[in-house]
Amino acid sequence: MSSLIESKLADMETAASTSEEEVIRLENVSVQYRVPQERIGTFKEYAIRWVQGKVKHRYFGALQNVDLSVRKGEVFGLIGQNGAGKSTLLKLVARVLRPTSGRVIVKGFVAPLLEIGAGFHPELTGRENIFLNGAMLGFTRDEMEEKFQNIVDFAELGEFIDAPLRTYSSGMWARLGFAVATETQPEILIVDEILSVGDEAFQHKSLERIQAFKADGATILLVSHGMGMIEQMCQRAAWLSHGRIIAYGSAHSVVDQYLGQVREDESKRLTQESAEQPVHRWGDRRLEIRQVTISNAKNQEQNTFYTGEILVLKIEYFAHEPIVSPIIGVAIYRQDGVHITGPNTSFADIDFGVLEGPGTVIYTIPYLTLLEGLYSISVAMVNEEDTIIYDYHDRIYPFRVNNHGKKDSERYGLMTMRGEWSIIPPKS
Amino acid sequence: MAKVIFYDSARIKSPVFEEIREAIKYRNLILQLVRRDVLTRYKRSVLGIAWTLLNPLGMALVLTLAFSQIFRFDTVHGYAAFVLSGLLAWNFFSQTTTAAMVNLVWGGGLLNRIYIPRASFALAAIGTGMVNILLAIIPLILVNYITKVPFTPAFFFLPVPLLLLACFSLGVGLLISTMAVYFPDVAEMYQIVLSAWFYLTPIIYPTEVLPEALQFWIRLNPMYHLVNLFRLPVYYGRLPTWEELLPALFFSIITLIIGWWFFTKKSDEFAYRI
Repeated sequence: MSSLIESKLADMETAASTSEEEVIRLENVSVQYRVPQERIGTFKEYAIRWVQGKVKHRYFGALQNVDLSVRKGEVFGLIGQNGAGKSTLLKLVARVLRPTSGRVIVKGFVAPLLEIGAGFHPELTGRENIFLNGAMLGFTRDEMEEKFQNIVDFAELGEFIDAPLRTYSSGMWARLGFAVATETQPEILIVDEILSVGDEAFQHKSLERIQAFKADGATILLVSHGMGMIEQMCQRAAWLSHGRIIAYGSAHSVVDQYLGQVREDESKRLTQESAEQPVHRWGDRRLEIRQVTISNAKNQEQNTFYTGEILVLKIEYFAHEPIVSPIIGVAIYRQDGVHITGPNTSFADIDFGVLEGPGTVIYTIPYLTLLEGLYSISVAMVNEEDTIIYDYHDRIYPFRVNNHGKKDSERYGLMTMRGEWSIIPPKS
Repeated sequence: MAKVIFYDSARIKSPVFEEIREAIKYRNLILQLVRRDVLTRYKRSVLGIAWTLLNPLGMALVLTLAFSQIFRFDTVHGYAAFVLSGLLAWNFFSQTTTAAMVNLVWGGGLLNRIYIPRASFALAAIGTGMVNILLAIIPLILVNYITKVPFTPAFFFLPVPLLLLACFSLGVGLLISTMAVYFPDVAEMYQIVLSAWFYLTPIIYPTEVLPEALQFWIRLNPMYHLVNLFRLPVYYGRLPTWEELLPALFFSIITLIIGWWFFTKKSDEFAYRI
């Protein structure tokens, strides 16, 4: 993995050195926070401990040896779990934080949309706040005067512009913040999950404005937990984990790697959880279920799937004595107990004859129609008349179906109908 | 149109001087912050900005009624003018230092989101204090006139004590706001320190009433020199002697340098402390 990153970084280095268009560059950047080992709340306490020589600090590495290069005009995505260092990285670019070591270079005027409307004063009117916020971004009163009308128009404030901000709704507050930050024509825009504010119409308008920036050649640094948004908006992306860059490259490949890891973690969690659950198992075990595995089309064990994938259920059994014509059945449940299906070998007209010793049965789902959710599988072995239970594993084998984003043609509910849409043009 | 900015973290060699450069660059922001503070202070009151004038007058009136009856200090001219001149200087100091601290602690979340020079809040607090004291000089002149304090050209020396007072207040403001970022109880403690300091400074009483022994020790109190320096041109109507000017100059400059140095040295940690 690390050699892969290195080679990618090397590629980037050469690309960067030949291109003058690089606007953000991080060279071997580390950020360490110095925090007291124990929380010392009061000055008095600190003074006492300091005299005793008991003030110890702990260093917390928020970013470690990060190299990054963002070119002019690109939309660059940052992904990773909470606490991975994404916000720290944004703060470095916004000049809010200085690196502990390494070097940060930013070329161009930066407007942060870290938390829009920060710095507004509730007692001041919208008009006064525009000038104050403009000053925070480094603009004079005259410069803001020119932009004033556009800001008011975009924020759709109308007459409210001369009312104190405390009378504004949260939506108006957010609109004004977004309008001020974007009207300053930044060359680099830092966007941190802000598009979740405001109503849908305004979100749409904001997105449009960001697209317009992109068209004008502005550089955008985007942090989002929505992988769809990253894939849709960004050309390149970096995945941060525990302060390090794990993957770096085209947005698609980084998102794929990230989702792969998320799936793997999820599987581990599910397996662990099922191991912790009390065993729901009964029967005389003359015919014993030895092992049940859930796997994909390539026969690799897995417990997270996307809708439409192939799911293979492999059941290994052992007959301790000759068993005549048993029935092997499967049941699939949703987490909340909804019984989805109950296929068995009898319905499928399979007669095993006499079973003795070990053997394997496979139940294949050629197209998993289930939608996003948590499911579990039961496996049972009974006699031909369904009067004797040999072995019953009740909802022991869990699996998860994940949303595949744009690739899913149907969403919400239990399952896909694999339906198709067609449009009949109106007769004229 | 948009500003061309080139930022290179490796170029920042000395945060002490960097902060000075940035503060000059962002002077418009500091002006806007002063504007905000002045506008919002009395925004929801009926009399509005008039309070800036009425506030010191009211206090002087109360103190005059109380002290001229009980203690009967001997002052050269009227007691009201004496106490008001001291109060203005003291209020400037106590209000600006407190505001510098409170603005940083409560408004400092902003430093997390957007780059502005970290000293902006403290500088704006000084600016706001300046506006207030300049306005309050109007009632001071009025009281001087009523109590027949003679007006002399020495009055125009006032900018010098004001400037030194501003330097000292900025230094102290930066020191305590740095401490308040780390320890919330500093804000409470400072109020106690302030009230003790108030009585240890000859504001409501003339220095002469102090016993001989104390008259020496009080020279270690920077506010003693600064209040005196402010009072000389407006109340006593004369210029300070060098012995009166130099200690005030010394304390103000040293405090400002220490405060600025301490603040800029620690300010890189603010973004994750506030």
